Amino acid sequence: MGTTGIGEVTKGSKVIFDGAPWLVLEVNFVKPGKGNAFYKLRIQNLLTGNTLEKTLRGGEKVEIADVAESEMQYMYFDSTGFIFMDQTSFEQVTVSTAAIDDDKDFLLENMNVQVTLWNDSPIAIRLPNTVTMEVEYTEPAIKGDTQSRVLKPAKLKGTGATVPVPIFVAIGDKIAVNTQTREYSGRVK
Amino acid sequence: MTPPEDRTSHRLTVTNWRPTASVGVLRRRAELVERTRQFFRERNALEVDTPVLQSGANLDHGVLPFRLDLHHGARFLPTSPEHPLKRLVAADYGDVWALAPAFRVGERGRRHGPEFRMLEWYRLGWDDRRLAEEVIALLALLTDKPSTHSIISWRDAFRTYAKIDPLTADDATIMAHLGNDAAVANGDRRVALDLLLTRDVEPQLGRDSWTVLTDYPADQCAQARIRNDANGTPVAARFEIYRSGIELANGYHELLDGSLLRERLAGELASRTAGEQLDERFLSAMAHGLPDCAGVAVGFDRVVMLALGLNHIEQTQAFGWENT
Repeated sequence: MGTTGIGEVTKGSKVIFDGAPWLVLEVNFVKPGKGNAFYKLRIQNLLTGNTLEKTLRGGEKVEIADVAESEMQYMYFDSTGFIFMDQTSFEQVTVSTAAIDDDKDFLLENMNVQVTLWNDSPIAIRLPNTVTMEVEYTEPAIKGDTQSRVLKPAKLKGTGATVPVPIFVAIGDKIAVNTQTREYSGRVK
Repeated sequence: MTPPEDRTSHRLTVTNWRPTASVGVLRRRAELVERTRQFFRERNALEVDTPVLQSGANLDHGVLPFRLDLHHGARFLPTSPEHPLKRLVAADYGDVWALAPAFRVGERGRRHGPEFRMLEWYRLGWDDRRLAEEVIALLALLTDKPSTHSIISWRDAFRTYAKIDPLTADDATIMAHLGNDAAVANGDRRVALDLLLTRDVEPQLGRDSWTVLTDYPADQCAQARIRNDANGTPVAARFEIYRSGIELANGYHELLDGSLLRERLAGELASRTAGEQLDERFLSAMAHGLPDCAGVAVGFDRVVMLALGLNHIEQTQAFGWENT
């Protein structure tokens, strides 16, 4: 997708290092008054999520990663992976199990998510920050106890994932779950 | 009823026109400029305005000037007011100072702007050590901090904080010290030392008081004279002043030998590719003869950052680079 001068790279830029796409989280310019300029970047690998610090010299060229996001609807899972439909082109796209990783725990059929594409191939998805899930099974509720901080496990319908919930939550309740922290954040009425 | 005139229809984009510094910061900044004037008035230095378009380029290592192509030839924006101030000193105008606009291509970050203000002055008959004391007196006045300070040589600073002797260590040892950053230096010793300086040394300087980093290696002399240190090693009579890891000032006991200075600048010019030209009027003044003097340049915006506790240079400037 071409190169750019390191001086044009800003927080949010997507660049290629060692053959992988990285998101630039932070850029610091450092330079002795009469010396060589350096750019100290904090970057996140878009394939693995790992972050690291990287130093470059002023004047260096970097390769820009062709990374785009597209809104897609999750349809079904088969032996090839997770099948989504692009909401703009209506094309079907397969996202690998590795790229979805733990996000599968909160991924329900017909849910709209942001899919990250690198060179037009899906590499990751971004769930809504909060999703509504139905409790398939949990220990019997203790009604009225909304103060207690004690938590119990609840199995979620559709994905089979388990999240800790307060003890007043009952089977069949709809709950809101924060997909970043994987924590219960409230009951949905 | 007539519809109100549409004032936006011919506007292409809505751009952010607002200042990058608050009015409170600009009031404090004006007060710091006033204190600076008072300081030099009491110390008998003459305030002068210097040109913003120079017929030749400043040629400091790693500092890139903007070049303007006018119909009758090139002009260069000053990277500091060093050349006109030294011409005034060479013309026997005495101690002079300027708070002048300075421009450097590609310097953009929290502590760097391509456009900023340089406070620069010259003292006749002084050496770098005496001038460093005066710089700290001014910095202390502007930031309301005590003038307590320590002095460390460039070599000792590397030995103390980077755990390496920058003069005697071989290239392989220096590269090994860089670890993952060695690829950045790619075998270039000067680049490796600059990287160690920014990574391991500078963050440790000026932590609790002012630090004067002095006795630079002879090959980083810029326009300073060379002298022998206590061990008989030739060093540059050059200093920098740091506070909280930030470089604030760079000063010299000035080189007086005009032909040696021409050699140094011609050497630097040989590595340039952006159409820089020697500043012949400045070199003529140096050939005529600069009286014995010391000079220093202080990044005034950084002093404002320090005095006001701001963390981005644009917060000290009415209109920062992104907003000029």
